[in-house]
Amino acid sequence: MTTRYIGARIPRNEDPSLLRGQGCFVDDLQLPGMVHAAVLRSPHAHARIDRIDVRRARASPGILDVITHADLDDLGAPLPKLIPHVSLTHHKTQQALASAVVRHVGEPVAFVVADTRYAAEDALDLIDVTYAPLPAAVDLETAARADAPRVHDDMDSNVCAHYTQRVGDAERARAQARHRFAERLVMDRGAAAPMETRGVVAAWAPRTGSLEIWDSTQAPIPIRNGLAAMFHLPQQSVRVTAPDVGGGFGPKVMMYYPEEILVPFASRRLGRPVKWIEDRREHFVATNQEREQIHDAEIALDEHGHIVAIRTVFLYDAGAYCPYGLIVPIVAGTTLPGPYRIPNYHCEFKAVFTNKTIVSPYRGAGRPHGVFVMERLLDRAARELAMDRAEIRRRNLIQPDQFPYEVGLIYQDNAPMRYDSGNYPQCLRRAVDSIGYAGWTAQQAAHRAAGRYVGLGVACYVEGTGIGPYEGCRVTVEPSGHVFVATGVGTQGQGHMTVFAQIAADALGVRPSDVTVRTGDTAAFGWGTGTFASRAAVVAGTAVSLAARAVGEKTRLVAATLLEARPDEIELEAGTVFVRGVPARALSLGEVAAAANPLRFAMPPEWEGPGLEATRYFAPPSATFSNGVHACIVEVDPDTGALEILRYVVVHDCGRVLNPMILEGQIHGGVAQGLGGAFWEKLAYDPQGQPLATTFMDYLLPTAVEVPSLEVEHEETPSPSNPLGVKGAGEAGVIPVPAVVAQAIEDALRPFGIHITEMPLSPDRVRQLVAEARRQPCD
Amino acid sequence: MRLEGTNLLPASVETVWKTINDPEALRRCTPGLKELKEIGPDTYQATLTIGIAAVKGTYAGTLAITDKRAPTHYKISLDGSGGAGFMKGEGTVDLEPQGDGTTLKWVGDLQIGGLIAGVGQRMLGGVGKMLIGQFFKCLEQHLGGGT
Amino acid sequence: MKPARFEYFCPRTVDEAVDLLARYGDDGKVLAGGQSLVPLMNMRLARPAVIIDINRIDGLGDLRERNGILRFGALTRQRAAERSPVVAERCPLLRDALRLVGHAQIRNRGTLGGSIAHADPAAELTAILSALDGEVTARSARGTRTIAAADLFVTYLTTALDPRELIVEIRIPALSPGAGWSWMEIARRHGDFALAGVGVVLVIRRGTIAEARIALTGVGPTPVRAGAAERLLVGHAPSDTLWTEAAEAVRAAVTPDGDIHASAEYRKHVAGVLTQRALREALSRTKEAA
Repeated sequence: MTTRYIGARIPRNEDPSLLRGQGCFVDDLQLPGMVHAAVLRSPHAHARIDRIDVRRARASPGILDVITHADLDDLGAPLPKLIPHVSLTHHKTQQALASAVVRHVGEPVAFVVADTRYAAEDALDLIDVTYAPLPAAVDLETAARADAPRVHDDMDSNVCAHYTQRVGDAERARAQARHRFAERLVMDRGAAAPMETRGVVAAWAPRTGSLEIWDSTQAPIPIRNGLAAMFHLPQQSVRVTAPDVGGGFGPKVMMYYPEEILVPFASRRLGRPVKWIEDRREHFVATNQEREQIHDAEIALDEHGHIVAIRTVFLYDAGAYCPYGLIVPIVAGTTLPGPYRIPNYHCEFKAVFTNKTIVSPYRGAGRPHGVFVMERLLDRAARELAMDRAEIRRRNLIQPDQFPYEVGLIYQDNAPMRYDSGNYPQCLRRAVDSIGYAGWTAQQAAHRAAGRYVGLGVACYVEGTGIGPYEGCRVTVEPSGHVFVATGVGTQGQGHMTVFAQIAADALGVRPSDVTVRTGDTAAFGWGTGTFASRAAVVAGTAVSLAARAVGEKTRLVAATLLEARPDEIELEAGTVFVRGVPARALSLGEVAAAANPLRFAMPPEWEGPGLEATRYFAPPSATFSNGVHACIVEVDPDTGALEILRYVVVHDCGRVLNPMILEGQIHGGVAQGLGGAFWEKLAYDPQGQPLATTFMDYLLPTAVEVPSLEVEHEETPSPSNPLGVKGAGEAGVIPVPAVVAQAIEDALRPFGIHITEMPLSPDRVRQLVAEARRQPCD
Repeated sequence: MRLEGTNLLPASVETVWKTINDPEALRRCTPGLKELKEIGPDTYQATLTIGIAAVKGTYAGTLAITDKRAPTHYKISLDGSGGAGFMKGEGTVDLEPQGDGTTLKWVGDLQIGGLIAGVGQRMLGGVGKMLIGQFFKCLEQHLGGGT
Repeated sequence: MKPARFEYFCPRTVDEAVDLLARYGDDGKVLAGGQSLVPLMNMRLARPAVIIDINRIDGLGDLRERNGILRFGALTRQRAAERSPVVAERCPLLRDALRLVGHAQIRNRGTLGGSIAHADPAAELTAILSALDGEVTARSARGTRTIAAADLFVTYLTTALDPRELIVEIRIPALSPGAGWSWMEIARRHGDFALAGVGVVLVIRRGTIAEARIALTGVGPTPVRAGAAERLLVGHAPSDTLWTEAAEAVRAAVTPDGDIHASAEYRKHVAGVLTQRALREALSRTKEAA
């Protein structure tokens, strides 16, 4: 098999139609007789519902239905627990509509269906709900205390899980260590903010008793399976399609958002297609958020600056319910050790309910927190021990000859963490060279002499990717010669239509433009889990490769019969199938496909069935580990706290690169989100749990003006864990950004001796830190 | 949000006390008050249309005066809800003689929730303070003062 | 985010528009660029019963200069003013401030009259009008009147205009010959509302400051004309010490609100920092007047 397209920077199959505005997103769907829904949401962070009166709304012109919890029957039960964990003692999930209590601003209380969305919103005003406000648990630390208002009153406290992971004996090691430095690190809430909000269209077909659903989701197959169970329908009678999805980033993989139940329910009730599109303000209260953690961490080192022990005890804000379980804090705790040798590790967290929007993974899913803690601890140690910050990292890196490296922890896939491959010193070396670390001290001195405060930061990380349970793929060659690839992972902009086509193209000797990839449609392929955790290229990509190769083998088998040769003499190239060395004895791939499906005569038994088609699955037994180093140069104005990012370097190792252009796109997007989380994006809540940033006026996404051009370099240590040698890359861009920005800002303002222990920052906060430092003499 | 202020009113403590307990004065001076109907002793049903410029919301709810310690202290609370969200305000008022007039000290806690809180945080504090200021300015005029 | 029901009118002349305003004033809103009004309506924060769309009134978007005064029709698009050679030559302070109003797409639709009538506490145009002692002409069914900048801005989102009045013209004096100018603001991102913004004009004669104008936005419910700071400057020779004093005077003159983006203390501090920097930049642009 030639590798012509894997690794090539080819333009995307997705783009011609998307760029011409011919994409089909869920709001583009227009079905005959379709009606529109709106959701009445709680304005209170915590309240009892004493009464819901929908009579005025029901009587309003153009209103077709008003649904409350009382109408839902068994669909009103708490929604499924997605990822249980032995430590998750209170796995609370929400109902599709609240009945007795609302627990966060935005929790759905009623569902209105009308001829138009305008009329539906008019009706929302006419629903009278009598709320009795209750005290809200908002601040994370306060909510964790025993005397805090309880989010769920059948619990003794708001702590729903308490979990500890240990490696070695951190207590003893730290007690005996020469140096110990503690830091308190706070990271605040943020949101994924995909360009497309959520949306669901459902059409109940009474004649066939089937349900067709279009959903802006990252996981259409589990949605189908769950809805089939909930609606007591055969899985085959439910079809879920994720059409073009304008960004997912994690929060769109959730089973189930209330609307994913309510829209099909309404459609069945009314016998008409129903559409619900989330508006942006709703999105800020009704789509899951993430990023709030408080770590009390400590690093212990010997006299040479080698890490002897790391300890962190942290609080994780789960929001009002925790359907998604403990993935985020587990990932945070297992990402923290990073590329460093850490002989003793204690990682303990409490997951805490608060009266705020539900939390589930957002790009990074806890990895940014782990890296922020580790890198801030190393920076603190470097400063205290007067060590160079690149040197302290170098000294503690896992070496290339130490793989596979047992970290000693259990990862989010419940398998032991074993770093499979990587060259951490090489990545650090390259990043440090590219950013100009060697000459930095002199350069910085020159800047300072000119009155400019410029700083450099460098941060390292390791990312667990490509976890199971599995993904599958079916590859089919049609008599036209066109290749069809169907798989279960949906796509939200990752370029799957291209990358999977490249893989199949190489296996079958065709061009990627000869391959059509279909994903996100349960009718096209019904087995899979979804797009999340940087796994699609690894798990689905491998399944594509396995299936395509199997089709290649079948092609050789069939062609051997037709061309009177041995299968191992058959070549596939440029859409033709020929005998090696005898190009005249050839058929087109399409001809072989046609021949493989005869209308008459006995079929050779070794074909094991008709057609050039194969379905394969890949179930990775463990994760495969990417890594990288980011470095940046920033300028800070100490009088205004304004920040400018002058240069940003990424050195990234995700094993074999399938399409460098698509990979760079992923990294660029991740870095932009990371920068947002470092200096701009913060979901502020007031003390009563009212969200204060529910528009892009107040939730600040960095724009093309704030995000610099990135310098991206690739390092490739192939993964031994899958035949393609690939590792995941979807989240990498975001992971070390807050850490590297914090270090760079500290470096820029070193004359003031400021110390950064929080994310995100802001001009006000930076200026405050400078002012505080000015009031106290620095070392 | 927590707001507080002090106003010097040109009347005796007794006169000021009477005025701030008088539903007529409340009716006249509460910004945006459309309806104030007594439903019990010191308890009123209230409807307010309140906001700034084009941004207005209608809130229906209750105004109550409690913790009365004549003639120097009471607590006033106002809560209402409507399409734009809900509001809940609680304030204590203390009167002290000051020469021929009265110093009125108020300390309040104002909670705004719903739509307007999520979109208007930039101006909520300032506008809230301004509206409360309007209330006291009106009282001042009512009492015969005025600039 | 769909607006509530409203009735729509599209007058073709100013007379028609003011007639409609006379009839619907309290319940109606004028639609010009729509860049502030339409989001408020979509979020149902504003529910005007009547929209009076003035975008098709001829002649309301003209820009002329006469006798040292720039006269803008109320419907002049911000982008047109920003790119006008007349503005660049006669009032570059206005041009520089306009460049920071939102983004180009917003300025393509947003109008000078609309921005001034909307009176956002962090707007650039209201501060420019204050700095340069501009004025607006407003028409209603009862007649025409002129309102000076000093009398125009009342509080958050509120001007002295009656709901039945329509701004028809904005007049801004050109900068004096040889004047230096500077507009500086700090925002969280390019195009965002200013956390604090300062516009400065300086005229130097025989080595001393003959004229000083300082106006700020984002530091209170209305634009602030820092008269005390201006008086500190006039008659003195420029110097860094003088700028520092002016900055302190500006700080003393402003009582900003804090919000989730920046505290009151930050805005006050930065107002002073920007004033100093703007004075420095304005000085560098002055040409000694005869």
